Amino acid sequence: MNKEKVLSLSDVTMRFGAKQVLNGINLEVYQGQIIGYIGPNGAGKSTTVKIMLGLLEGYHGKIEIFGEDIGKGDVAYKRKIGYVPETAELYDNLSASEYLTFTGELYGLTTKQAESKAYQLMGEFGLEHVFHQRLSSFSKGMRQKVLIISSLLHDPDLLFFDEPLSGLDANSVMIIKEILDQLAARGKTIFYSSHIMDVVEKISNRIILLVEGRVVADGTFEELQAQSKEGTLEAIFNQITGFSEHKEIAENFVEIVSGANGHG
Amino acid sequence: MGDFTSLRVLDRFKWLFQKLHIDYAVMRKILQLKLTMDGRRMPTVFNGSRVKKEGNQFKKSLWMYGFYGLLLLTPFLFFGDQFIFFMSILFSVLMFIVMTSMVSDFSAVLLDIRDKSILHSKPISPRTLNAAKVVHILIYMFMLTGSFVVIPLIVSIFKHGIVFAIIFLLDIILISCLIVVLTAFVYLFILRFFSGEKLKDMINYVQIILSIAIMVSYQLVARVFEIVNFDIAYTFAWWHFFLPPLWYSATFELILNSNFSNPIIIFSGLAILGPIVSILLYIRLMPAFERNLAKLLSDSKRNRKKWLGLHRFWARVLCRSKEERTFYLFASLMMKQERELKLKVYPQIGFALIIPFVFIYNNLRSSSFEEMSNGNMFLVIYFALSMLPTIVPMLKFSGTYKAQWIYEVAPIHNKFSIYSGTLKACLIQYFIPVYLLLSVLFIWIFSIRIIDDLIVVLLTAIAVTLISYRLFDAEDYPFSQSHEFMQEMSTFKVLAGVLVVGVFVLVHLIFTKIPFGLLIYIVLLAIGILIGWKKVFPRRTKVGSSS
Repeated sequence: MNKEKVLSLSDVTMRFGAKQVLNGINLEVYQGQIIGYIGPNGAGKSTTVKIMLGLLEGYHGKIEIFGEDIGKGDVAYKRKIGYVPETAELYDNLSASEYLTFTGELYGLTTKQAESKAYQLMGEFGLEHVFHQRLSSFSKGMRQKVLIISSLLHDPDLLFFDEPLSGLDANSVMIIKEILDQLAARGKTIFYSSHIMDVVEKISNRIILLVEGRVVADGTFEELQAQSKEGTLEAIFNQITGFSEHKEIAENFVEIVSGANGHG
Repeated sequence: MGDFTSLRVLDRFKWLFQKLHIDYAVMRKILQLKLTMDGRRMPTVFNGSRVKKEGNQFKKSLWMYGFYGLLLLTPFLFFGDQFIFFMSILFSVLMFIVMTSMVSDFSAVLLDIRDKSILHSKPISPRTLNAAKVVHILIYMFMLTGSFVVIPLIVSIFKHGIVFAIIFLLDIILISCLIVVLTAFVYLFILRFFSGEKLKDMINYVQIILSIAIMVSYQLVARVFEIVNFDIAYTFAWWHFFLPPLWYSATFELILNSNFSNPIIIFSGLAILGPIVSILLYIRLMPAFERNLAKLLSDSKRNRKKWLGLHRFWARVLCRSKEERTFYLFASLMMKQERELKLKVYPQIGFALIIPFVFIYNNLRSSSFEEMSNGNMFLVIYFALSMLPTIVPMLKFSGTYKAQWIYEVAPIHNKFSIYSGTLKACLIQYFIPVYLLLSVLFIWIFSIRIIDDLIVVLLTAIAVTLISYRLFDAEDYPFSQSHEFMQEMSTFKVLAGVLVVGVFVLVHLIFTKIPFGLLIYIVLLAIGILIGWKKVFPRRTKVGSSS
């Protein structure tokens, strides 16, 4: 198979004030890959994604997306990208229809195309009856579905999903997983970051583990398994990040919880 | 999403934007969306089951600005030909009002952080995004300034002729540009030195100052007419170069009074150059501004624990049960930190402080200081109490009203202790500072003899608080409703509250006629409050009453 390089990062560093967030990230991503981008809180996952989307400036190193250096200031590359932000921000006082039509239009769809596509997609999620309701009345799961739809309306080639499953029920999670699989089969590239290890384990065909702004593991789940001789991704994660005190911390925690009454 | 008149006007300038390499179609889309959202600033209550058509709150407030224009600006047009004086006062007022309302009303527009992840991740050039933001602000600026100056402008045609009006109009346009940029600089400055939460506090204070200033200016405008009979010659000083209102009033001197002295010419030059230079500076600083915006999300600078000693002391003294103490502390913190509540309450407090002095001042013009300090004028302190019937019903609102589930979930023995603690906190937080300040000043004016009257006032305040709560809304939970319902607080209720205060004043007056009347009254009030408080907030538990 002749797979195209979609994305490459070379020696990307980033600092916020005195804090070095990214310590030289090197990465090459090829068409059709589903990448599970994992790491402890504060490892720099969202920062990497935000830099690639041009939301954060001031990084050093070179980032190429679809073969173009994004530092050059041309925003055209964003047209082929879909993004679900971690913070799940929406313009609350718009209706789902208005919001989705708007984002579709920003990616170059006509009003009609955007609206009818949005309606059909909402219908597949069983949300057609709330199409004209304000987003402020939506539950967390419904908002998440709207965000996912808005990121896919323009049929992008590269997807950045930051915790896309938060708030979704088990059935919806199954749907989304299947959608990701089928999109990848059609040659879309998916960059997926999450804290839920067993989902990452099942969805991804390549896993990248980030610790303190550095890539410390990169490979398929099987490769990581062989490397670290652990059964689950969770265990691998714990082993690589050098975390083994979970039992003691939990013990202390519970100790404080039950002892709290005697203290005051 | 509807179409907007402002956008159709904007369409005529399409060529201008295209010349500047701005994607007009996309910019228009963003503006249309933003304007739609502004019209819906208030969140829906009815779970979005029907898309309610609320009017744009901002558009409604434009009538108020028109009124302010009539009240605050127009008078200065009648003060003769000494333009350098009267026009500079007029421009100062204009700049102050427009700038403060820019800071308060446009914070939402300028500082919308959702834009970052929603708009910046789309294929839109930064140039177009910035243009959309600037045009959005300009549309509002235009409407705001427009309604503010429309009456003075029309009046000026009749009073000073068409040439005057044209200069006036041009000056207003220039000054508006200056204000937009200056406001942005204010933000830039604040953003540079404060992180997110502090910044929101700062904006909050600006909003509070604005509303107090407008209320006070109502009182002042009437006075201004009395002090106009002066005739002064303008003397130039170098620091006048830093006063933009002078630049603009100079243009009138230059053209209408043919005053070609050097300062006037330089002022007029600055009037035109000022806005241009500041806009250029603004374009340069825009990227820094965007970078600092990211700070809005963080509350990083605040790390140490707040000192609650004084609150704890009052809680211990005033509250009967541990539960009530907890709610007293909680309510105190809410009252100090909930911005929307502060925005509504603090102007009332400012008003309560000022109104008594307005009356004293009025009185002083008709009688001497000695006469007054021996009389019953100190009773105007009761006007400060009229803030209580307005504030007490506000305590049930909160921006974070959804968190009210905690009241239901927590095992609260006596739910009456919730509001009991809240009302006590309200008195200590809001009323006592005003009361103490007024008391000190009044004792200074009226001598120590009024001390028993002041005790009566304090007790009355407690009684009024209790009555306002009981009369208007015997709600179970404070901070449990959306501010959106605030409008429903009818003026009738507030008037009724003021009437209650009036009755207390009468009773107070009657008791002063009786020997030892005030002492008897104090005892009666104290007993009344103790019984009343116990009746309104019984001690029995919720569980006990149902079995």
